[in-house]
Amino acid sequence: MPDLRANGLAFHAQLLGQGPPAVVFLHGVVMDNLSSWYFSVAPAVAQVTPVLLYDLRGHGRSERPATGYTVADMVADLAALLDAAGARPRVHLVGNSMGGLVALAFALAHPDRVASLALVDAHVSDGGFGEQMAGTLLLEGPARDAAIATHFADWLGRHSERKRNKLAENARALVQGTSLVADLRASPPFDPAALAALSVPVLALYGEQSDIRDRGEALAATLPCCTLRLLPGCSHSVIWEATVQVREAIVQWIQAREAERT
Amino acid sequence: MSDKAEILDTIAGLIRQVVGEDWIADVDIGMDTSFSDDLELESIEFVALAEHLQQVWGDRIDFVGWLSGMELDEIIGLRVGQLVDHVAGCLER
Repeated sequence: MPDLRANGLAFHAQLLGQGPPAVVFLHGVVMDNLSSWYFSVAPAVAQVTPVLLYDLRGHGRSERPATGYTVADMVADLAALLDAAGARPRVHLVGNSMGGLVALAFALAHPDRVASLALVDAHVSDGGFGEQMAGTLLLEGPARDAAIATHFADWLGRHSERKRNKLAENARALVQGTSLVADLRASPPFDPAALAALSVPVLALYGEQSDIRDRGEALAATLPCCTLRLLPGCSHSVIWEATVQVREAIVQWIQAREAERT
Repeated sequence: MSDKAEILDTIAGLIRQVVGEDWIADVDIGMDTSFSDDLELESIEFVALAEHLQQVWGDRIDFVGWLSGMELDEIIGLRVGQLVDHVAGCLER
């Protein structure tokens, strides 16, 4: 599909299946783009119902403005994209890592537009998030390569110097050339009372060994309708370490939510 | 030229267009060429390639349906010839 214009920017988007999109996938930040969902889970979900994938602002083949990277900006992008794509009035959101945070923030801002959430090792906007992000992103040399290996297990990128360099250049341009890190740091944490009042059904998949597993446990304790599943032996890169389980869990989740709809 | 040779020719042209860098012009793209090891295609470039395939052959090919039946390791190991065979199979139907 051609780029979608939304919230004043051109977004690279992919529609899989025919008809109004019912599921929207959100990828992680900096060293990620829509291709991680495109090659892992999205095609199987598209066999159930139409799917929309897009590159977050500044990422992949979407436009990269110098500023405007708060969570609220990304929520506004998604609202405008749903309109531009002619999506269903209520969509299922599937978010990985920071994409999960955006999905959750969207559900809090627009609960009437969300049918369900599937969060995969999602970050939660808490106090330490900005510092942690900034630390990981401002790396160089071998530490940089290690971070790429850990945080971006690109399906074709794991052993290639050309791709590692391109990813690193791209990450550096995004981190140093835009207000992304500062904007994410400045984004306010979620209000626990608002989370406790969110009635949308949520599936939370976390790596058993993930460094942010406690976020998943906190969500399960706070959200009124949240199913937490821990994937054994997995770190934060759950979608690469347990691709089959994540795909099956999300397909079943969407099938069940779609069945309730009719 | 056989059907498959024509399809290979078209796909090789699309790969060169998607990569858009000088070095790819000199690479010999054949049935055995690996997307990952030989062409070092980035996954976002592979998405772009899929979009181009759809533009050329439209709904006659179902790239996403094809992917949905594949495990990650199979996708990582994909060779140009497998894509050519898939397209040829779809066009025969």
